Amino acid sequence: MRVPFEWIKSMVPVKQTPEEVAHNLTMIGFEVEAIDRMDGDAVFEVNVTPNRPDCLSVIGIAREISAFYNIPVEFPEHDVLAELGGLDFNVDILDKNLCNRYAGRIVRNVRIGESPEWMKKRLEKCGIRSINNVVDVTNYVLLEFGHPLHAFDLSTLKNNTIRIGTPANLKTSGLIFKTLDGAEHAIENDMLLIWDAERPVAVAGIMGGLDSEVKNSTTDIFIESAYFDPVSVRKTSKQLGIKTESSYRFERGTDIKILKKALDRAAYLMKEVAGGDIYGKIDIYPKRYVATKISVSFERINKILGLKLSKKEILDCLSRLGLELKETGSSFTVKTPTYRRDIQKECDIIEEVARIYGYDRIPAKLPEAVVGSEPNNMAEKNKTLQARKLIKDALLKFGFSEAINYSFMSMQDLDVLSISLDDIRRNTVGILNPIRTEDSHMRTTLMPAMLKNLISNLALGNKELRLFEISRIFINTTANNLPDEKEHAAGILYKERSKTLYSDETHSFYSVKGLVEAVLLEMRIKDYSFVRSAEQFLHPGQSADIMIGSGNTAVNAGFIGTAHPALIRSLGIKANKPSLVLFELNIEALLSASESKLKYRPLPKFPFIERDTAIVVDNDLEASTLTAMLKAFKSDLIEDVYIFDVYTGTNIPQGKKSIAFNVRYRAADKTLTDAEADNLHSSLVEQIINETKGQLRQ
Amino acid sequence: MTSIKDSFYAELKSVNSLNHLSDLKVKYLGKKGIITSEMKSLSSLPVDERPAHGKKINDLKTSIEAEIDRIESELKNRELKTQLLSESIDVTLPGKYTLFGTEHPINRTLSEIVDIFVKMGFSIEEGPEVELDYYNFEALNFPKNHPARDMQDTFFVSDNTVLRTHTSPVQVRGMEKRNPPVRFIAPGKVYRCDADMTHTPLFHQVEGLMVDRHITFSNLKGILVAFLHQMFGAETPVRFRPSFFPFTEPSAEVDIGCIFCKGSGCRVCKGSGWLEILGAGMVNPRVFEYVKYDTEEFTGFAFGMGVERIAMLKYSIDDIRLFFENDIRFLRQF
Repeated sequence: MRVPFEWIKSMVPVKQTPEEVAHNLTMIGFEVEAIDRMDGDAVFEVNVTPNRPDCLSVIGIAREISAFYNIPVEFPEHDVLAELGGLDFNVDILDKNLCNRYAGRIVRNVRIGESPEWMKKRLEKCGIRSINNVVDVTNYVLLEFGHPLHAFDLSTLKNNTIRIGTPANLKTSGLIFKTLDGAEHAIENDMLLIWDAERPVAVAGIMGGLDSEVKNSTTDIFIESAYFDPVSVRKTSKQLGIKTESSYRFERGTDIKILKKALDRAAYLMKEVAGGDIYGKIDIYPKRYVATKISVSFERINKILGLKLSKKEILDCLSRLGLELKETGSSFTVKTPTYRRDIQKECDIIEEVARIYGYDRIPAKLPEAVVGSEPNNMAEKNKTLQARKLIKDALLKFGFSEAINYSFMSMQDLDVLSISLDDIRRNTVGILNPIRTEDSHMRTTLMPAMLKNLISNLALGNKELRLFEISRIFINTTANNLPDEKEHAAGILYKERSKTLYSDETHSFYSVKGLVEAVLLEMRIKDYSFVRSAEQFLHPGQSADIMIGSGNTAVNAGFIGTAHPALIRSLGIKANKPSLVLFELNIEALLSASESKLKYRPLPKFPFIERDTAIVVDNDLEASTLTAMLKAFKSDLIEDVYIFDVYTGTNIPQGKKSIAFNVRYRAADKTLTDAEADNLHSSLVEQIINETKGQLRQ
Repeated sequence: MTSIKDSFYAELKSVNSLNHLSDLKVKYLGKKGIITSEMKSLSSLPVDERPAHGKKINDLKTSIEAEIDRIESELKNRELKTQLLSESIDVTLPGKYTLFGTEHPINRTLSEIVDIFVKMGFSIEEGPEVELDYYNFEALNFPKNHPARDMQDTFFVSDNTVLRTHTSPVQVRGMEKRNPPVRFIAPGKVYRCDADMTHTPLFHQVEGLMVDRHITFSNLKGILVAFLHQMFGAETPVRFRPSFFPFTEPSAEVDIGCIFCKGSGCRVCKGSGWLEILGAGMVNPRVFEYVKYDTEEFTGFAFGMGVERIAMLKYSIDDIRLFFENDIRFLRQF
């Protein structure tokens, strides 16, 4: 809301500079966002919060300044000194709940023309374009009193009649109405309209009709000044998609009392600037305003604010705001004026006291110790926070930088990943009003965003990328109103062949797998396995799902894998055989298998003996199978086994490979002899060779 | 005897390798060496001359041995030096490493905020991002069809489901789960249907709530001033001014003195000398009624802040969209 300082001063004669007044307005809750110098005046750009429609006017702002400086407000001239006779006019309110009050006046013999300079200037300062003197008067009074008015061309109103009601009240339906901007609107049956004897002439409080608007040829005017129900105006304005200065104020609530003054002021000004003759007034007020009465104790105010104000100080703050007060011992009652419908309860009164007393005068004091109570599931909650931190720290240590993406995607993003139609990731949550069509759904996987980050970084010439994101994904569940929100950690490792000082021959898949395994170990997850993944966007030979648990109850906790060449192609990556490894982990699934108890194991007292063996086996024997066989060998003396070499090539037959493993033997209660270890090892090797149908490597 | 000694030293002088030295050692001290044969020839001497002569030979042997040891270690040292020299590498070439990754500036700022409140005894709550209208609006005293709802452009999922427009619904969910006293913060993502230079459809907030008997507006100021002083420095001016949020009454907007111009007015603070940093207020009793807290017995305050705004101020970032473009050159700076 733009408010010219000289206009304010015409109502409250403040002596201070515009800057001082603006500062004080800000400090009582009307933030002056800017002071605009115009025409030798200072125009305040005031941010008026939705609870204070009374301050969407010069007079409202003047009232606040008056309360702050404790000087009275003077209303502008609005006495209609001479009325030319009575009024041959009918007003009928058909729905008094939607229209609590309706007043009107007729002004005849106006000469439509330009407004005087002073009026045009004030309108211009407030950002309103001058149209003609009659329309300008309604806008001028809207700014001045905050009350919207509407001027009809009287000659277009059939039978000098105004009716206020909905199509339902008039038992009609299916109306199409043309507003003065020329647009046609379908009218719902519960929308409040203004009608003449035959047809609708305005959408109440929102916009007039094209047929009844004031034209250059207009001579006689009917001015409407009414109170319409805020909720009704808001609903209609939303449904029709029309937002006007008028609807903006009606939906926030207008002053049912000032509307009469506003009407008189408009008539007065029309006479002044358009030379009209003012006729009598009609004012129907079927639903009276009932002032809210609030009783507040002095002590309560001090208790909430943390102050020790006297009764006099408290009452002084409130009376400056024009509230009607009555002291009753330890408490007092407040009667709210028509322009302060926002004051409903005790807390509203407390705010008014604090506002006028000054927030800055309330001391800042830390509370006495408050130990918050915690619900039972807090330990679980903390575990989640810890897991998130652990995974994040691990990724940072491995050189991955953190990204944050919007939570949106489109169904096409899933198509790019060839995600099948029965995949759970197709159970999406759609957004009814997305900003862009590519952001039409809540994401069910973090992969699309990661890939887009890759593309945009490549376009910027960033040719090596390690990026991760920890965010929620959203799975639609029909059983529940709200979707399942699951926290995922996803990442991407991208490398092109480049000149480097030191070669690193590690396959990127293993770099990422190592990272994931480190996380699993750190989370103390024991029962996991990597099994070949069926994800279509991953290289079938270089991808794995991470399974937590075993057998039928195993849970998929994510995947890692090299991107499928088809995906790389579809992303438009031109580089020659870049290495691109992707992963996505479901943190909740990992957590479910995480052992929270950390327990010390005694250190061994006796030395170990190690034996290494290489065997030649079929190429398709997987490491995990061999390790499982080794671990399955029944002996308490085997402490650890691991594979330390895999070799194909010279001296190894086609279709075979050599795997070398190390076994560490140790007894808990004695020092093993070489003979004991040799015996054990040779029976182990014999069993493995049988099971793998392999042979010792010569 | 003297001639043996002289010839040994003469030969020793020309020794320049361990092999050569070992030959010399054999020549003099070996089984068939000069000293050994001297020893053997003792028996041909008269008995009374033997001890004195024997001693002489022994002395000579000892001094030759010592001399050979000395030269040996000298030669070994020289050899090691040559070897080490040949193993020299260019220590000024860069080492092999993987740079640590960097935390996103938003989460970095978020952690900083959260840590300050956790140290003040606040616990951490989280709530759903796809939220019921009831929690996002109604129980926070935003009635249906009220203009206050226009303060937040809302993404809708269905008639009664929205993407939460603020972290405030976690206040209600958090209170439903507990009895007072209550003290928690709720960080998280929020959504508004808005996108331009200064708005992104997703951003982050931290909400806070404290409820007990005797919590006052003065306490609200106490906690927030303490927080802002830890976040921006103890000298930072803080001011509170009235504002409006449906779920708090009285409500306040909290400003800090502009950290760039120190209050004299600049582009960032639009000349006002102040930067709006968070919203706060005393919990509106209507909200307590929704969670069935006794409004006479308990009072409390709530506050909320935008993490992007704070991060932009902290790192002098002038375009909010940079946070979500994930350009690695940007991310690596934090």
